[in-house]
Amino acid sequence: MSDRQEKMRQSAEKLLRDGEVGYVIGWGATRFCDRTTPVFIDSPEGAASLVWNEHAVNSLAKYLLDDKYPDKKIGLFARGCESRAVNRMIKDNQVKRESLYLIGVPCDGKSSDRCRLCRERNPLVYDVLLWEPEANAAPADRFERVRGVEAMSPDERYRYWGGVYDRCIRCYACRNACPVCSCRECYVDMGRTGFQGKQHSRSDNQIFGVTRAFHVGDRCIECGECERACPMGLPIMGQTQKMLKEINELSGEYECGLDADSDSFLGRFDLDDKDEFM
Amino acid sequence: MELKKDRLLEALALLREGSDVALPLPADDGGEPAFRLWDGVQEPFLGSNTSLPPKELLFPRSEGMYGYNLKTGELSDILPEARTAVFGIRPCDVKSIENLDHAFLEKGYVDSYYRARRDGLTTIALGCSEAARTCFCDSMGVAPGDAPGADLMMNDLGDAYSVKANTEKGEAVAKLWEGLLSKGGAKAPAAPACGFSVKADDSLPDRLTARFDDPMWDSLSKACIGCGCCSFICPTCYCFDIGRENRGACGTAFRCWDSCMFSDYSRMAGGHNPRPSKKERLRNRYLHKLAYFSQRYGATLCVGCGRCIDKCPANLDITRVMDMMEGVDANG
Amino acid sequence: MSLTEGFEPKIIAFCCNWCTYTGADLAGLNRMKYPENVHVARVPCSGRVNPQFILRAFQKGCDGVMVCGCHPGDCHYSTGNYFTRRRFMLMKRMLEYNGIDPGRFHARWISGSEAAKFRDTVAEVSERLRKLGPNTKYREALREGADAGKGGAGI
Repeated sequence: MSDRQEKMRQSAEKLLRDGEVGYVIGWGATRFCDRTTPVFIDSPEGAASLVWNEHAVNSLAKYLLDDKYPDKKIGLFARGCESRAVNRMIKDNQVKRESLYLIGVPCDGKSSDRCRLCRERNPLVYDVLLWEPEANAAPADRFERVRGVEAMSPDERYRYWGGVYDRCIRCYACRNACPVCSCRECYVDMGRTGFQGKQHSRSDNQIFGVTRAFHVGDRCIECGECERACPMGLPIMGQTQKMLKEINELSGEYECGLDADSDSFLGRFDLDDKDEFM
Repeated sequence: MELKKDRLLEALALLREGSDVALPLPADDGGEPAFRLWDGVQEPFLGSNTSLPPKELLFPRSEGMYGYNLKTGELSDILPEARTAVFGIRPCDVKSIENLDHAFLEKGYVDSYYRARRDGLTTIALGCSEAARTCFCDSMGVAPGDAPGADLMMNDLGDAYSVKANTEKGEAVAKLWEGLLSKGGAKAPAAPACGFSVKADDSLPDRLTARFDDPMWDSLSKACIGCGCCSFICPTCYCFDIGRENRGACGTAFRCWDSCMFSDYSRMAGGHNPRPSKKERLRNRYLHKLAYFSQRYGATLCVGCGRCIDKCPANLDITRVMDMMEGVDANG
Repeated sequence: MSLTEGFEPKIIAFCCNWCTYTGADLAGLNRMKYPENVHVARVPCSGRVNPQFILRAFQKGCDGVMVCGCHPGDCHYSTGNYFTRRRFMLMKRMLEYNGIDPGRFHARWISGSEAAKFRDTVAEVSERLRKLGPNTKYREALREGADAGKGGAGI
């Protein structure tokens, strides 16, 4: 483990020393040994503070949206989940591949429930790979939880989601952690348009939850950051996973971020799509 | 005086005859431990502090303010009538209520909604016998074993709680519990040491505000994702927004929690935003907690409960800024 | 069924300017009778309808929502309704997944000449909603009088 950490530090140090990148986004230590925080290293000396262990959980890709037009390339440590997010961001015209230097770090598994659905530990796109690819672990049943909710009666389903959203504190951590949630201004923050009621009520919370899921569901890379970020531990991936399940059923095998060319489901159409509205 | 632990629920039931009783209750179906109204049966959650602060008792997430009818021009006040006793509130959270009192009741304006709930609230504090690793209240001027601001103070003595009334409201509770209390002179064991300590002395506010333009705010805020988690789980964050909901000619004005970490919080009419990015927003939040409030009210707004450190999705830590200020004076 | 007795559902129909809205107009010109429960909201294209509109309509008191546009291939903007089709196929499923009765949301293709189809669709939807009764799901709770002040812990 520490061997890999050393490789990462050396690689970041060299990139910064050679002026290849403006800064490197990685993980750094916090007060607690079982937690890391994203760090932004802009000097070769700073590379010594990079950390790699099973607690390097946060997905780093979202931070690319803070700096869409960098003067120099941004160095980003990329695992499978970061690389899928980058693919999605490139397709969505959020970032340019040429402004990134992706340092591939095959993931050796993290101590987080967010990795439950991980199907791709190795970066799918990178400029350099720091060590040998890892074997992918068998992910949990992709739609198990969705099927659990589907099995309920309509009223039970409503009660279930109502109960979930009753506990939502509307901090929008799910939105802000999501790497494919990329609007410059969120509809939620357009207070006076009336799109989203601001009260902390079941109704407003539910509408936020369903709308958020709908906005990102067809581009979801299933990284699990939304659930990890949720301070209330709400099972909100149940909504986005439902979108993916339905898309899989409607248009065949569907997974996001595996390449940077595929349209999202709602961003394209087929003339011979199923028609239920005749 | 002391109250045997096995008579706690009895004591709470007595309280419940005269008012609502709020307790720290465990996570119900997957939620987080929080102060909720007691149904008279559930066991309180006393192992550690709750994930959600008790501020909801005084400052609900959403509350109606007044109703109106545009046709008749009628206005109707909506004033809360709450009588609540809260048990199991920790010294840091008691301190947070003192801070909310400053904000809502002082400096020439009394918030009538807060006032009504505050008057109806009796606080029964429980001293900490164990500190979480994120606790740093003793650095912020709170004693983990004692809450002088509480109406009634209780401490864990092993098989009993010591009971000490601090106010008239507290005396009333002690009187109500008369039959359950027994004489006991046991001294509460020493309060535990906090998870860690930071240096936050009287000069911190000035030292911080002198560094308003310091590049450190860039580095501190980079990892922030800009959500409002820290504000909503903070026991002392009290910002709100006011809105209206209309049905035909009738409507209600309401207020609801808001966070200075959101972009629309500081956006002005016309679209200008004086805090355009998370750097300015995070700086404002930190400075409000550690400097502005102290300069205005003479009390640090941060009470050291550690909730934001525990829950931040990016694992940001407000105490880092205090560490960075160590050895830095206001002039340099 | 006392709940539904004498109940008149409130329906909002988002109608594309180029087809269904014209079709509804034609129904009026032809003196066709259809249930007055429906409130027509004109949109430039059915592709303009945002899923948010549907949720908001339920929240604000509608018992049913319709989205009506041009038949696939006939879109005034060539492709708008193809996007509508995908979007609302998903939305319909999401609503059901969240516990909304499938009878409360309908999407239909109705052209400018199909006045009778508009009439029949509205009649059919309104009849179905009359049986379902008032919608309570996603409905915002209105604060009234002193009740509004009761907040406190554990909302």
